[in-house]
Amino acid sequence: MIIDAHLHVDDIPALGWKLAAADCVRRLDEAGIERGVVMTIADAPEVNPQALELIADACAAFPGRLEAFARIHPWYGDESLALLERAIGELGFKGLKLHPVTTIAHPAGADTLRLIRAAAAHSAPTLFHCGDEPLTTPFAIARAAEACPEATIILGHMGGYFHVEDAIDAAERHPNLVLETSAMPYPAKIRAAVERLGPDRVLYASDGPACSPRIEVEKVRLAGLDADAERLVLGENAARLLAAVR
Amino acid sequence: MIVDSLTFAGDGLIAALDEAGIERAIVCPPRARGHGYDVENAQANALAAERPDRLVAFARVDPLAPGAASHVEQARGIFLHPWEDAFRITDPAVDAIVDGLPVIVATGYPFVSEALQVAELARRHPETPFVATNGAQINISGLGQEDAFLALEACPNLFVQTSGVYREDFLEGVVERFGAERLLYASAFPQFDPRLELLRVRWAPKLGDEAQAAILGGNATRLLLAGTGPG
Repeated sequence: MIIDAHLHVDDIPALGWKLAAADCVRRLDEAGIERGVVMTIADAPEVNPQALELIADACAAFPGRLEAFARIHPWYGDESLALLERAIGELGFKGLKLHPVTTIAHPAGADTLRLIRAAAAHSAPTLFHCGDEPLTTPFAIARAAEACPEATIILGHMGGYFHVEDAIDAAERHPNLVLETSAMPYPAKIRAAVERLGPDRVLYASDGPACSPRIEVEKVRLAGLDADAERLVLGENAARLLAAVR
Repeated sequence: MIVDSLTFAGDGLIAALDEAGIERAIVCPPRARGHGYDVENAQANALAAERPDRLVAFARVDPLAPGAASHVEQARGIFLHPWEDAFRITDPAVDAIVDGLPVIVATGYPFVSEALQVAELARRHPETPFVATNGAQINISGLGQEDAFLALEACPNLFVQTSGVYREDFLEGVVERFGAERLLYASAFPQFDPRLELLRVRWAPKLGDEAQAAILGGNATRLLLAGTGPG
């Protein structure tokens, strides 16, 4: 069983990005993937006040195939918190997604930590975009992991192009950090992460549908993991995280 | 024929090309440590001389180093890495060594080789083909794509490589908007894994056979290998 832990559903005319739920499912099918976790590109409540509904509708249209993460802008205080509670408590979302490039909110800022802790109270993970840009680097997000040891924090893209070693170093120091493989271009680093962190702390994802889930699965296979580790990375770790949310 | 339009000299290069089914490659020196590029260029040339059927060496130049122009004299092409060698691609010292030979530029590095900076160099030298690595962007949010498109639009003498580009829609967008002749397969081995990098072209659903053939080898043969080896 393969689970893709990071896909997008949204419609952003300004960027020319049209990412439909049906595209996600088609690409999962192409790659033999059972389930995918979808999230928007724009944040709720700004710039898209309907971002939660967009994702809830996407999941409802493909029962059993798509799970939801709520992308929420931390700046809106109690309103942000209420959106997260509604997402997880009422709409069945399984996690929080934060992309500090779009929000200019530091991963260890007070507003952000409040959201991470609220997600953790539901045993729901927080997925951060973790790349090479300011506000998204592994050591910045590690400050949030340190401040919220009860939270599972996923480093999406596991450090991008130039921060992958930093991501592995940070995860070695903070046991609540999990690395997620999408878009990061080095198969050998997946193997290094599994060797240093253990196979239960690395998650397959694609960042599809604009990226190819099938190529991203092949990237994990090129890492040359043993069969048990590969099964954990490709699906069992994500299944465990999703099942824990309450 | 598959041509890898950027690799770096070192152990395991031919084996990696063989494993991925790549017939020919441009080979460039890795970063010099503690001395100028005389040694690295000589090593890359020697590697290419051992396998003229497989490899063509491009000269790596640090434009700010004394005697930079001497590296270009016998070269088939030039490789510039503004980030590793610490210069701005729009520095006048770069203009001084560009003379019509094809130039591969390590592109997408902040401050020194952003897509629009490389486009500015290409604008100044319209007779010289410039090949930008990494789709002219290195950004895992996809935020470099728009500048890369603007650069391609502004400069018909600018081409981009596929190396490390995780966004399939970008690669397909280059072909749709500018034609398959503007895109070249590259692995930048050993930076990236040729087995994975080839899939970015082979498994892109919107690229037809003709476009794939151009991207995987035809374009590099025309632009970078003209008059060399068995191609």
